[in-house]
Amino acid sequence: MAAALAVSPTRMELMKLRKRVGLAQRGHDLLKEKMDALVMEFFEVLRRIQDSRAKALEQLSKAHRALSNCFAVMGTLETMQAARETKRELQLEISTRFIMGITVPAVEVGEVERNAVARGYSLHMTSSELDEASREFERALKLLVELAELEASAFAIAKELEKTKRRVNALEYILIPRLRGALKFIMMRLDEMERENFTRLKRIKAILEERG
Amino acid sequence: MSYRVAVIGDLDTTTGMALAGATYAHVHATKDETLAKLKEFLASDEIGLILLTHRVAEELGFEFRQAMRAKRLLPLVLRIPDKTGYTPKVDELREVIRRTVGAEIMVKKEGE
Repeated sequence: MAAALAVSPTRMELMKLRKRVGLAQRGHDLLKEKMDALVMEFFEVLRRIQDSRAKALEQLSKAHRALSNCFAVMGTLETMQAARETKRELQLEISTRFIMGITVPAVEVGEVERNAVARGYSLHMTSSELDEASREFERALKLLVELAELEASAFAIAKELEKTKRRVNALEYILIPRLRGALKFIMMRLDEMERENFTRLKRIKAILEERG
Repeated sequence: MSYRVAVIGDLDTTTGMALAGATYAHVHATKDETLAKLKEFLASDEIGLILLTHRVAEELGFEFRQAMRAKRLLPLVLRIPDKTGYTPKVDELREVIRRTVGAEIMVKKEGE
């Protein structure tokens, strides 16, 4: 591993490497903290998704039942005609929010439920089943909008989490061991040089004493 | 900014959502047509939410996933069950969790 990092065994290099290890370690710690925070955020969103999804899907199936009733009572073509006549101008207010530097959508929806007059289909041509179906679908849509916001947040957080995790792992398992390996190599080399020098001096001293 | 809602799905879903006030609707018939429509919806600046039935999403398959990866933050895309309540067995979100966080989450989810 250490071989991958070509360094010359000097004191200068040793000091530089120590600094780099320190920096990498600090970066690693910070990223790890970020990851923990993200995981907590992720779970919070997941919990909310579970509730929200259960509610939304239940309402949606209720809405479909109401619509089937309406098809049966009023006739399919008439219902579709009414759907064409309906005012279709639901507005969503979508802005973005930041969680730990990730952009997630924040959706605000006004009152989705309308009264029968505001819907825009002709009242004397349609039955109350249609009103019922519309109301159920409006409720379902409101819940679905909330669910969509949560799911989009979850996916955004998951994406960021994946990225952060990769960075943490790269630091932890590749960069830091490599730097430490290089550090160790230099230290051993310096020690070795020290020892060589020591024996060299001893030898010179012995030779000098022989002469003198 | 205010946005509109778009729906892609079978006749029942689109009719119902139209009654609820969704502005754009497309009834799924052929894959190519639906895909073109989906791209159009995705490219639109006016649309903030696209509702899509699971069945259609599955039929579009790879192209749908590709479009999801390529899309910006908006519009949001949500897959919903159709009138038969059909949802795929593999939950996409659960898949994402397994990939990002690891196996320990599954254990926790089972316990909940």
